[in-house]
Amino acid sequence: MSSDTSKTENTKAKNTEEQNKEKAKENTIELKNVTKRFGKDVAVDNLSLGVEKGTLTMLIGPSGCGKTTTMKMINRLVQLDEGEIKLNGTSVYDIDPVQLRRTIGYVIQEIGLFPHFTVFDNIATVPRLLKWDENKIKKRVEEVLDMVTLDSSYAYRYPLQLSGGEKQRVGLARALGADPEVLLMDEPFGAIDPINRLKLHDSFLEIQDEIKKTIVFVTHDINEAIKLGDKIAIIKDGKLVQHADSTEILYNPANQFVESLLGQDRSLKALTLKRTKDFTSKENVFTVDKDTSQDNVLKQLQKKNEVIAFVLDKNEKLVGRYWLETGKKGKVEINYDKNPIMTEQNNTLNESLSNMFSSGEQILPVVNRRGKFLGVIRLSYIFDEFNK
Amino acid sequence: MNLFQYVSENFNNILGLFVEHFFLFLVSLIVTTIIGVTLSIIATDEGREKVGQVILSITGAAQAVPSIAVIALVFIYVGIGKFPAIISLIIYSLVPVMFNATSGILSVPKGVIEAGKGMGLTKKQILWKLKIPIAIPVIMGGIRSAATIIIGTAVIASVIGGGGLGDLVFTGLKLNRPEALIAGAASSAILAIIIDRILAYVEKIITPKGLKVEQ
Repeated sequence: MSSDTSKTENTKAKNTEEQNKEKAKENTIELKNVTKRFGKDVAVDNLSLGVEKGTLTMLIGPSGCGKTTTMKMINRLVQLDEGEIKLNGTSVYDIDPVQLRRTIGYVIQEIGLFPHFTVFDNIATVPRLLKWDENKIKKRVEEVLDMVTLDSSYAYRYPLQLSGGEKQRVGLARALGADPEVLLMDEPFGAIDPINRLKLHDSFLEIQDEIKKTIVFVTHDINEAIKLGDKIAIIKDGKLVQHADSTEILYNPANQFVESLLGQDRSLKALTLKRTKDFTSKENVFTVDKDTSQDNVLKQLQKKNEVIAFVLDKNEKLVGRYWLETGKKGKVEINYDKNPIMTEQNNTLNESLSNMFSSGEQILPVVNRRGKFLGVIRLSYIFDEFNK
Repeated sequence: MNLFQYVSENFNNILGLFVEHFFLFLVSLIVTTIIGVTLSIIATDEGREKVGQVILSITGAAQAVPSIAVIALVFIYVGIGKFPAIISLIIYSLVPVMFNATSGILSVPKGVIEAGKGMGLTKKQILWKLKIPIAIPVIMGGIRSAATIIIGTAVIASVIGGGGLGDLVFTGLKLNRPEALIAGAASSAILAIIIDRILAYVEKIITPKGLKVEQ
């Protein structure tokens, strides 16, 4: 009898223990009442923040607000003065800092690729520190290079031989090298020109959809925060001002500071909450194979009473576009464009809208990061969204 | 007596002094490299970058001090002979070694070091896998200047009993025999050129490939 009671008590204890564990597991990263001072200046002031497993939290605020300091306390590059930071329920101060950092991916604005290492060796850095088997490392490097859409010939190049966008992709690949659960990113796209930044955003979102890492991402660009973040944490003077998803922040800014951060064009920004892929359709879209002759395309278009044909290769990659134009004498001419303007699936509606304005097109083909054709977005779709 | 006659008559003597000069140089260069690079590593350690800056200013200014002043000071405090000569050569050539090593390590991009630290490299790994290899071309530049300076200054150090090719030069000076003077000076110049070529080759070999590729 007595043994029975102890058994049930045991199971009870186990249950509560498991429940506690599960509760702690909900948030992969947990900051509790964290304070950091530099001399007399309070950089981070009693800040509490939880980051759910598999989500992307953007830390945003004016420069000097403590967002980078907050992030760097998670991998102990900065020591906290007060409070507690937990990773999967364990205080980061119970883990050796060097070991801790090997389990957390880290990307910074300067990228900091090791110039004397090949791309391969850069990506293999942490796996080698963790003493992975060389075959496993080789496989992993190929895998992450493919993930960031760099072909395997890049493995033996040196950082000096890469463009800015390529460097940033390798930086991301390196951070993913040892397949860490958590990524810390400090303005990773800050030094990239706007066009490449959009492309990188798009790739990054696609990759995150695939790998579902727990990410803390520091930025000072509100558009970037709205576009990328599952949650946005707005920080001012070391204090957390608002922590919510982008819709909540756009429609219910906590105070004037958040409003001013969002700027004047909030209704336009609301378009950034919508992704192009959700407005992409293949309805009434005419595509032809790369090998189809121009005359054949012309006949088919006239038969179907269409004016645009998108040209795909055998991997469904968009490689060109035909369009019909009525000439001076009413004669129909067919034109070919081998570099058609396109938009990527994770572009926000206002980015696609902006692409339409700048190109003068009302229909844009939509592709993924590998250039695969997914359908088209039409100006009318976006207006319908406005009218709602 | 012309130069060729002089050299052929005194060939063994000149060769002996040449070898002596070479060893003076070799010992000084090895010691100065070890001391100079070690001090620079210590001075540029994380959080001590200001010490590194101070060293840069001091060594920058110290390059203007004439070698004869250093030799004279060592003579006053240490005395005469091979050992004081080597000491003065080490002190004088520490300047370029430390200047280059310090500035080389300090100029490793901050982002590289921060990325390394954030990825979980230990302090030792950051030093040996990142800072030193990236700074190698600059460090080697300092060692090459030091080599040339040591070979030239060793000629002067013969006044405090260092020996080597300086003996020929000063003999020529005292006895008004230009062929002896020229033989000494030319031999020292030849040694300097050979050593610099060798060090240039070493530099080429140990500079990581990634730092040399075309952009």
